[in-house]
Amino acid sequence: MNTELCAEALEIGQLARRALDGVGGIEVARHAAQDPRAGDELVQRTLLPLGAFDLDPLGSEIELEAAAALCRAAGSVGAPSPLAERLLRPHGENAEGIEGAVIVGPDRRARIGGLEGTWWALDLHGATTLVRPRSVSGPIAELEVLEGIADQPERRVAAVLVLGCWTLLGTLDRALEMACGYAQDRQQFGAPLSSFQGLQFQLTEAEVERAGLEVLAHHALWSLQTGRDDALSDGLALRLAGLEAAEVVLRTAHQVHGAIGFCDETELSWLSRSVEPLRRLPFGTSQTTSLLGECLGAQPLTGLFTSQEAAR
Amino acid sequence: MDFEQGQEVASLRATLRSLVGEVLPASFHGAFTHDPADLALAQEFCRRLAEEHLLCPAWPSDVGGKDASVWEQTAMREEMWAAHEPRGAQYMGVNWVGPTLLRHGTEDQQALHLPPIAAGQVIWCQGFSEPDSGSDLASLSTTATRIDGGWQIDGQKIWTSYATMAQWCFLLARSSSETRRQAGLSVFLVPMATPGIEVRPIASMIGPHHLNEVFFDGVLVDDGALLGSEGNGWSIVQDVLSLERVGIARYARVDRLSSWAPHALAERWEDVPEALRARWVRLGVRTRRARLLAYRVVERQDAGTLSPVDAAAYRIAVTALDQEAAGVLVELAAFAPATEEARRFVSAAEDHARYAMASTVASGTTEVQRILLARSLVGRR
Repeated sequence: MNTELCAEALEIGQLARRALDGVGGIEVARHAAQDPRAGDELVQRTLLPLGAFDLDPLGSEIELEAAAALCRAAGSVGAPSPLAERLLRPHGENAEGIEGAVIVGPDRRARIGGLEGTWWALDLHGATTLVRPRSVSGPIAELEVLEGIADQPERRVAAVLVLGCWTLLGTLDRALEMACGYAQDRQQFGAPLSSFQGLQFQLTEAEVERAGLEVLAHHALWSLQTGRDDALSDGLALRLAGLEAAEVVLRTAHQVHGAIGFCDETELSWLSRSVEPLRRLPFGTSQTTSLLGECLGAQPLTGLFTSQEAAR
Repeated sequence: MDFEQGQEVASLRATLRSLVGEVLPASFHGAFTHDPADLALAQEFCRRLAEEHLLCPAWPSDVGGKDASVWEQTAMREEMWAAHEPRGAQYMGVNWVGPTLLRHGTEDQQALHLPPIAAGQVIWCQGFSEPDSGSDLASLSTTATRIDGGWQIDGQKIWTSYATMAQWCFLLARSSSETRRQAGLSVFLVPMATPGIEVRPIASMIGPHHLNEVFFDGVLVDDGALLGSEGNGWSIVQDVLSLERVGIARYARVDRLSSWAPHALAERWEDVPEALRARWVRLGVRTRRARLLAYRVVERQDAGTLSPVDAAAYRIAVTALDQEAAGVLVELAAFAPATEEARRFVSAAEDHARYAMASTVASGTTEVQRILLARSLVGRR
């Protein structure tokens, strides 16, 4: 068993984080809040020299792991670009000019506000349509359907879910780093905040959630790599864990920071608002739970025992 | 990446499941019931495991083990806990008393103790906690006083599982009044039949044999009872704890019981309300999460890269899982139809709910794990 990313993926992740920090780190998120298109272009320009957009994550195991590491790096600076969706654009003759692949729910919205071009819209029931962003409300766009596409999207849908969670993981890594750092620096009652057990225990709760998301993210990536039948339920399970982890980690990070954490002058405020669209779309916690339940029916999520084996 | 555990592990799982099916009735819920037949079944199961060198697979083959890989050991922990730990009280001797003796015991101590543990013929209890020393173990006050040719032990232990059935006690006592309290502790291997030892069971909601008081009144042991050197007890206990980083694979029983629910409820599964079904779905994700956190601990411990953060995060996640599962399983049990299988499911769910209450207390409280984790997250820079 080997539950860690390969060396090549870890290296590209480190390079990406360094490159994104080099163009301002969380300034990227602040910049993009004012102009989503410029923010997206900045992320693309920064990652292009690393070969990010030459990757075909569904083409090989290494490319999928590299894509995951890139998404985690992007999440760590609150990069607003729909990076997972861009990395998972379709390849091949009929896919020329497609910007990326987004997952849509019944309200046909996606996190590509302010962006242009044509995109694949995937839904969980197997339909793929060609769309372009239409009316825009901040980072979220309604989509205009252009035509239906014949494709078998389940693996791509699962991959978009999984890589989106790697982005979320990067954000939560950074949020917890910030919370721990601030708790050690900030003094109240003559002592650092980190000396108060009430806050320590909140930080441990956040770390359990973050670490749990981390191991599930690795497992879901492996599930995709090996072409398992349950890659979609694994992706939904990961998203459910990711949304719950985000709730705990970001709430804790804000609680530790107090009022300063809401202010524009703090990086946490930009990190936290940058990830909001990813938490809402394509599905929130309740809908993700419900979709996973539909996907599983009366079968448990794959683990040590099938229902039949458990009955013995 | 590769999350497959390999053919050897799959084959071990198949062997263990087959043995469980062959030796244990489907209604078996562990050795610790009021029915002595359950303890006899567990002892028989251990003998069968020992015949296959599977009772202590992690041990070297020359002392009764089979040099099992860490993943085989993991599968063993999972399969046994999922089947209501049919090794019963042997669990303690096999998983840490034996390995500790291998590291710290004299040749005589190893010769005396390892063969019966490997054969499943002896039960050990652990004399650590005292009425005034729970999480703060180093404050314990049971004394071991030097006398001619040995030691005299006086004091009281509490919460001592299996003390009513154990033949030996792995006892931590204060052998000197060093200023640094950890430095005055020593470990003694004490026969429970020694005059002066009295065991008093404590009736409790988690079932018989789990909680006992053990009184030591002028108990005399010879020099051969001392494990390691005098005053080295705390470091031996730390070593014991490092063997228990993963500990009980609690997630494995949760996995089995929650996976069983749709099968046990059969057509009544459709009657389960959506809100409860959602909790069952979430439980599946949390169960997988705990299992993968355990695998990370195993992998990193094997590679020598384990951080205290990894181990503590896992312990917190898995004990909380046990209790979350209890709530979901008991509610699902309310939808059980009138079938034999469903009755067994209900009984197993109730047993789990009763025992899960203790999961955040037993083997070190979850608060201690949080303190350890916090120390790593925001310790002094």
